Amino acid sequence: MTCMPKNPAVRRFCFRVAATTSANIALNILVALCFYKFRPHGPAAYVLAILPAVAILWFIVAIGQYLVEDKDEFQRNLMVQVLLWGLGGVLVLTSAWGSLETFAHIRHFNPSWTFTFFWIFVGISVPFLNRRYR
Amino acid sequence: MKNRLRLLRAERGWSQADLAERLEVSRQSVNAIETGKYDPSLPLAFKVARLFSAAIEEIFLDEP
Repeated sequence: MTCMPKNPAVRRFCFRVAATTSANIALNILVALCFYKFRPHGPAAYVLAILPAVAILWFIVAIGQYLVEDKDEFQRNLMVQVLLWGLGGVLVLTSAWGSLETFAHIRHFNPSWTFTFFWIFVGISVPFLNRRYR
Repeated sequence: MKNRLRLLRAERGWSQADLAERLEVSRQSVNAIETGKYDPSLPLAFKVARLFSAAIEEIFLDEP
């Protein structure tokens, strides 16, 4: 028995997401180490700092590829719903946090955590959607 | 949208998985269509109609 998805488009998407997420984590660690060790400044610091976001761009491309490749329209619809929950959750969280920072002076939210929170909201939505369409 | 998919499938003794395989979609898709939680696109509706040798309007009913 295997937990590998049968649908080849889903399988490819899973590999791509694993690759982009791993790249994002690896780049975050690498960039932090570079700043800690070499203390770059000027243009080099800018380029280094935005490197982890490149992996997120790759993730967006992976979603686009999945939506083109999967022949099962219902599964595509489900994927869009999951992503909307993730995006919606992150938008609500960051907007609410921004207001709280401005008016209630709570601790600053580091926006580089946005991608992590996106995945948390995606993870929360999946069981609910699976339950609805089981 | 209401449909007669479950009935037609039962007449042939197919499981949801059997029908899904014939339509080249997931079992979850068949279930969502049967329960009216998802309305298929026109190409998929045509595929369903061809499979059951029926007209689209004989399978998918235009009523709330």
